[in-house]
Amino acid sequence: MLNSMMKTKIFAWVDRRTDAGAIIKSQLTEYPAPKNLNYMWNFGSLALLVLVLQILTGVFLAMYYKPSAAVSYGQYTVAFDSVERIMRDVNFGWLIRYMHAVGASAFFVVVYMHIGRGLYYGSYKEPRELLWIIGVVILLIMQGAAFFGYLLPWGQMSFWGATVITNLFGALPVIGEYLQQLLRGGFAVGDPTLNRFFSLHYLFPLLLAAIVGGHIHALHVVHSNNPEGIDLTKEEEKIMFHPYYTVKDAFGVGVFLLFYCYFVFFNPHAWGYFIEVDNYVPANALSTPPHIAPVWYLTPWYTILRSFPDKLVGVLAMGGSLAILFALPFLDRSKVRSARYRPVFKQMVILFFIDVIVLGYCGHEPPTPVLKLVGQVATAYYFAFFFLLLIVPKFEKTKPVPEGI
Amino acid sequence: MKLKQLLIAVGALSVVSFSQSAIANEGGVELKHAVIDVTSQEQIRRGLTVFTDVCMGCHSATFVTYKGLIDYPEIGLTREAVDELRGDYALTEGMRTDLSAEDAKGSYGKVPPDLSVIAYARKGGADYIYSVLTGFEHDPKGIIPDGNFNEYFPGHRIAMPDPMGWLDHDKEDTAQIEQDSQDVAAFLAFIADPHQNQRRAIGCWVLGFLLLLTLVLWRLKVEVWKDVKH
Repeated sequence: MLNSMMKTKIFAWVDRRTDAGAIIKSQLTEYPAPKNLNYMWNFGSLALLVLVLQILTGVFLAMYYKPSAAVSYGQYTVAFDSVERIMRDVNFGWLIRYMHAVGASAFFVVVYMHIGRGLYYGSYKEPRELLWIIGVVILLIMQGAAFFGYLLPWGQMSFWGATVITNLFGALPVIGEYLQQLLRGGFAVGDPTLNRFFSLHYLFPLLLAAIVGGHIHALHVVHSNNPEGIDLTKEEEKIMFHPYYTVKDAFGVGVFLLFYCYFVFFNPHAWGYFIEVDNYVPANALSTPPHIAPVWYLTPWYTILRSFPDKLVGVLAMGGSLAILFALPFLDRSKVRSARYRPVFKQMVILFFIDVIVLGYCGHEPPTPVLKLVGQVATAYYFAFFFLLLIVPKFEKTKPVPEGI
Repeated sequence: MKLKQLLIAVGALSVVSFSQSAIANEGGVELKHAVIDVTSQEQIRRGLTVFTDVCMGCHSATFVTYKGLIDYPEIGLTREAVDELRGDYALTEGMRTDLSAEDAKGSYGKVPPDLSVIAYARKGGADYIYSVLTGFEHDPKGIIPDGNFNEYFPGHRIAMPDPMGWLDHDKEDTAQIEQDSQDVAAFLAFIADPHQNQRRAIGCWVLGFLLLLTLVLWRLKVEVWKDVKH
């Protein structure tokens, strides 16, 4: 189909002016990819799909949403009302809004899988260090976008979540107080906060789209890693991205959409994990919910924050837990990439995945002394993992890597 | 292999915690199960009657317009019936109580919450509503006065005074009160998301289509890849 399209007169006209044919060749039909990529390599294209879905649904939501904390009736505000009007009165507004809300969680599911794959198969190592670092920037912007977006319905968890997180900035020395007021647009979370968060929630996805472009460009310079983690030298080890990986990615999209649409149509709140129960209670500055927890995708970092009795140390640890991802390519100096041939690293990285799930669980549940201790142990391992990587290559007996695939 | 087992155990644990959070409210008491059908016009209409006769004395459902009572097929009242309900209120107005916030504060100490999305705003949803409505008991410790002690309300002290007359009711009334409470729970579960039945109906078609599409794409993938040794 692509071939016959490229033979048309219209395409020739466009091609002469844009070199579109060369781009298609270099990026798709003659872009070589390892032939042994497994299904863990599907999550990158899925992340791109969800990003597009989020931007499209978001654009339509913004046509009806009103960022105002002005009181409308009782405890309700103009912002909360506009969300409910979208759910009730806008034609298929419920679909667009649930797609966006479920999409936020789906985005993190696929991106966390994508990151986990990169960790396990050593995709962050030379020559892909910058590719990994751009990816970490994407993660940070995503978390920011998700956090800003969660304020918009102006429910209890929106309000108190934003209060807790903006409070964190106040713990920083010297600039903390100023930064906190800048974020809030005042001394407390209120109407100005809602307006600037809406503005930033629209800005961040545009940044994401641009940086994702850079991420893909960087990938197409250094090319994909593969499950064996070896450099491919022979031509027969590679296949063209199109049609092989376009069709494989399309199949992955089908499987993903099955899960996604199950949640959109049958379980949009996901038992209170995607949209928290308390966020259907309108924001009330005078009543703190008994238990404040961010949405599941931010809970691992929330646990790290809560694991330290001193607020400033907690904030620094939380920031450090994300910042350390930037340093990962330089901490792990082992020449072998894939965990398949690194027995010690393999145990460590699987334990790390479990560790992050445990951190997430601890951050979601109301704190108890036992959970607090579990969270602290998990936090300790989170950091230990990265620092152990410094010394593991010194004693780890790696298995011989294959010559080719 | 040990790690795999650990992984499975962690997975199982999270499933258990999911289901627990689905049935237990914040008080940690197991809720009574409400038998409701949000597609049943009969039950939702009965629930609407309980809502207008009892709940609306104090509570509003401001996102539910009188027009909605005609438009939603699950309620489908006639214009005449709605005109009777709404009195002087406009058709496009939400269902609001005549009790002012000040009077409510004077009588009960707080403003009764709006019930438009209450089924989503409380853990347990319809089960929670049903349990609270039929959860008024004498405080076993004798501290909280009758009518303010509720077995299922977090902290047990509730400002809402036994709307269904559950406390010390006659035995022969039990079934009726339980039915009325479940009906109003069904009504509230419906209005929390009035397009939910349409959503599920469309969802079946969407999933059916996607299942076929994915099947085709899978065969296509196998076909395209059949010459690649990997």
